Amino acid sequence: MRFLKFAAITVALSLAGSASAIAQTKKTYNVGAAVYGLKGEFMQLWANALKEHPLVKDGTIKLTILDGKYDALTQNNQFDTMITQKVDGIIFVPIDIQAGAEAVNKAAAAKIPVVGSNTRVNSDKLTSYVGSNDVIAGEMEAETVIKAIGGKGNVVILEGPIGQSAQIERRKGNQNVLAKYKDVKVLEMKTANWSRAEALSLMENWLTAHSGKINGIIGQNDEMALGAIEAVKAKGLDPKTIPTAGIDGVADAVRAVKAGLMTSVLQDASAQAQGSLDVLMRSIVGASYKPQAKLWENYKAAGLSWGDGTAKAYSIPWTPITMSNADQFLPK
Amino acid sequence: MKSENTLSTSDRRSNLRHTLSEYGIVIAFVFLCICLSFANENFMTWGNWVNVLRQTSINGILAIGMTYVILTKGIDLSVGSLLAISGIVAGSLVTGETAGSVWIAIPAGLCVGVMLGALNGLVVARLAVAPFVVTLGMLSIARGLTFIYNDGMPIANLSLEFRYLGQGMVGAIPVPVIVLALVFAVFWFILNRTTFGRYVYAVGGNEKSAKTSGIRTRLVVFSVYALSGLLAALAGLILAARTTSALPQAGVAYELDAIAAVVIGGTSLNGGVGTLTGTLIGALIIGVINNGLDLMGVSSYYQQVIKGAIIVAAVLIDVSRKSRN
Repeated sequence: MRFLKFAAITVALSLAGSASAIAQTKKTYNVGAAVYGLKGEFMQLWANALKEHPLVKDGTIKLTILDGKYDALTQNNQFDTMITQKVDGIIFVPIDIQAGAEAVNKAAAAKIPVVGSNTRVNSDKLTSYVGSNDVIAGEMEAETVIKAIGGKGNVVILEGPIGQSAQIERRKGNQNVLAKYKDVKVLEMKTANWSRAEALSLMENWLTAHSGKINGIIGQNDEMALGAIEAVKAKGLDPKTIPTAGIDGVADAVRAVKAGLMTSVLQDASAQAQGSLDVLMRSIVGASYKPQAKLWENYKAAGLSWGDGTAKAYSIPWTPITMSNADQFLPK
Repeated sequence: MKSENTLSTSDRRSNLRHTLSEYGIVIAFVFLCICLSFANENFMTWGNWVNVLRQTSINGILAIGMTYVILTKGIDLSVGSLLAISGIVAGSLVTGETAGSVWIAIPAGLCVGVMLGALNGLVVARLAVAPFVVTLGMLSIARGLTFIYNDGMPIANLSLEFRYLGQGMVGAIPVPVIVLALVFAVFWFILNRTTFGRYVYAVGGNEKSAKTSGIRTRLVVFSVYALSGLLAALAGLILAARTTSALPQAGVAYELDAIAAVVIGGTSLNGGVGTLTGTLIGALIIGVINNGLDLMGVSSYYQQVIKGAIIVAAVLIDVSRKSRN
């Protein structure tokens, strides 16, 4: 059933896509996507999904993806280049919440619409923002871990790189929940820089420092949660006895969820990428533009609505991954 | 008569200094461990030392190869990238349902490391390009190839057989620690008991006179980079096995920790002077600092400051030793 629905939508979309391509044979659009860096699995998925957008596939949109190499200055320079080349629109995934604002201002001054995606930037010049609210993810994972340990006990938190918007917001979500539970104590809270190897060493050391006292593990992303699980195993403990949560829904984490070792929430890279391109095209083409990506249909029930495509922000919902639904998130 | 006397006194003094500088690093290490065991009651436990040794194994293996290179007055900045590409090549052969034998995957991964390391060596030895530049280039090339190889995606789901290399235990001792011990033993033997080892020191001490005395200096230089590549690959396999997945971004900036271990261990960046034992203790010092500060709950920001201060202090000792000689 799911497959049929998917096939029907795909066919409908590709027909719609080719129809519009015929109608506007002359008109193509140059779109630049400036992303903070292409070295992580999540941004790879994001970039690949963007290339799969129906209008990119049929050639209506000429897409250039620029790798910001995790550096704010590189991203600023890439904006200068795109402005000189007079692109029609920009999708922006900034490395830094503040430093990105200047780049957005420059593009706005050149009358180029900029739609943010995935990570936030502190600018009111942004045409729109399509992403997932990291505060909610932080709340969801903390809630899951605390419920699993019965509302009392000791937890540790593995943080992202301090100062990145995802780290700031996920920490806020963690703390919103922790504030409600007076009997839960945070033993340690330290960055492992989204890295599995770093989290592995850190967790080994914590398990020594607080031997037998750690009841739950909150990882601000899946990679670190997976590293923590390996540390627990190496210590000779059963990961199932120490509830662990991550965020993002990367393939390895989905497998671990399926095995009952952790929980995670899916951040839909594809929906964020394709949704931001739809919103950007709406602002370039005008009211006649109809969204092409299937996410608007998929998330309708979850409360996401296209409206007329001019909202200032679209929040893509998080999907909890459980043992029962894990299979559908595994790569085919 | 008088002058002879003064000479012998200063000789004795320099002998004492020599002993101190030789064992200074060991004394510093023991002192550090004593301080940390007072600061945290869990530090001096067997379980914690298993952690420290396991966490040190990867940097230790890299640093052993780096010692050879630095002894010839060279440097190898590419080890972090060689580690990543070897891990991902080996990982791709032992993933999923089609997982092949580790007896193919491990040699394949090691082969990639040796070949790229040998390429470094070829350009440094044959074309006489500065090692810093050659290996800086390789750092970027190998990292790029790693991302190309699997389109930037990690390779997960590595076979249990392969994971043994990183997660297995022989009795109470983790496999990576045994690998480190074996590598240390073999490379210590080569450096201290074979002609090739003497040549490594000779090339770094004075390449011209080494050449005039009939040593094939180019071959020696070429070999140390190939060996460094081999050990980087070995470290890459262990890292992938430990984290159960081969990540293309693994090992970024690991070359810096490896160089730090070598320098803390008393090996001179000017070549010709240094020991593998010093390097091993240098790597242990870094491991113990990271571990101890984690145990005490010190922020990772301070960890970086302390590590940096120790590196500079180690080089200062090295410089003052040189000026006395």
